Amino acid sequence: MKFLSSRRRAAGAATLALTAALALTACGSGTTKSAGPVAVVSQQAQNSPYQGTVLAKHFDKPDLVLTDTSGQPFDLRKQTAGKTTLLYFGYTSCPDVCPTTMGDIGVALQKLPADQQAEINVVFVSTDPQVDTPKVLRTWLDSFNKNFIGLTGDLTTVKAAAQSLGILVEDPIVNKDGTVTSTHGAQVLAFQPSDDKAHVVYLSDTSTATFEHDLPLFAKGVAA
Amino acid sequence: MPASRDFRRTALAGAAVAAALTASAIVVACGGSGGGSGASAKLSVTDSYIPLPAGASGDDSMAAGYLTVRNTGGAADTLVRVSSPGAGSVSMHQSTDTTMREVDSLPVPADGTLQLSRGGTHLMIMGWQKPPAVGDQLELDLTFAHSGTITVEVPVKPLTYRPGS
Ligand SMILES: [Cu+2]
Repeated sequence: MKFLSSRRRAAGAATLALTAALALTACGSGTTKSAGPVAVVSQQAQNSPYQGTVLAKHFDKPDLVLTDTSGQPFDLRKQTAGKTTLLYFGYTSCPDVCPTTMGDIGVALQKLPADQQAEINVVFVSTDPQVDTPKVLRTWLDSFNKNFIGLTGDLTTVKAAAQSLGILVEDPIVNKDGTVTSTHGAQVLAFQPSDDKAHVVYLSDTSTATFEHDLPLFAKGVAA
Repeated sequence: MPASRDFRRTALAGAAVAAALTASAIVVACGGSGGGSGASAKLSVTDSYIPLPAGASGDDSMAAGYLTVRNTGGAADTLVRVSSPGAGSVSMHQSTDTTMREVDSLPVPADGTLQLSRGGTHLMIMGWQKPPAVGDQLELDLTFAHSGTITVEVPVKPLTYRPGS
């Protein structure tokens, strides 16, 4: 928990700095190249080419075998090895944060050439497996990107995997009106193929622009 | 990459607007919130939208709604209720770091704004009479403690829409 809150603060600072830079650039002139100042600020903030928050602790990719959207077993370590993997825990009846994050990643990914897109796995692990059957997951994920990987299965296994990454996942609660609320950390962890460990984290207030900045770097294998 | 450059320009414009907005809001707040007995809230609603729910099917769709309430008056107000003739229920929610919770009311500060936006405060719209489709409009009736009810027609936008994009 201590770890989480300090990460959050770091990300907040980076976002603030970024906002300032953007505003300044915008005031300066409409013709200057905008990529420069932004990159400089993010380097000052964390000394990395990435705008996401660079992790001091490089989490191992969880040893997780669940069911994918075709109903087949999916071994996260084996089947995502050698590619950048963005991992997110959430649930499909989540109306605000989950679709926003998946949508932002989807939009950013779509801007890459096909060969670069193929270098990045996006994995969505359900925190509400009772509702999120493989079919429900597929339909939901297809709204964002047909290649997004959806995993569902035993919630205890999911909770343990999340916990190993410092991500909170609790049992879903069924509300009086029948809707389900799942409590889950909304961060996206980025595992890099160099060592298959997590190097960068994106919190739920991450802007689309941050993903658009960072995904090409992942696709090219730039170290965080 | 003309597409990405265009996007960046839009994003920059958005940032500038946001920054300007924040700055002016702060300036006004510093001016003093004395209010006085004659002050009243002057509300307007802008930038409302409903992103099409992902994988939406049938009338069990649950959608989020976002909007901004501007108050150019010298007194604060409170959003106490939202309803819609086209939906069974509309509730006010606040996303936190790990979950979201329903709230009874939302404050609209004097000379300030109440902003409902992605990943933050939002409306949850359930029980759609007709499944939402991009281009549809949904009437929302926003009731305030002092200013009565403001009715807005909120457009359904594509799933990944963000204002300014
Ligand atoms: Cu909600």
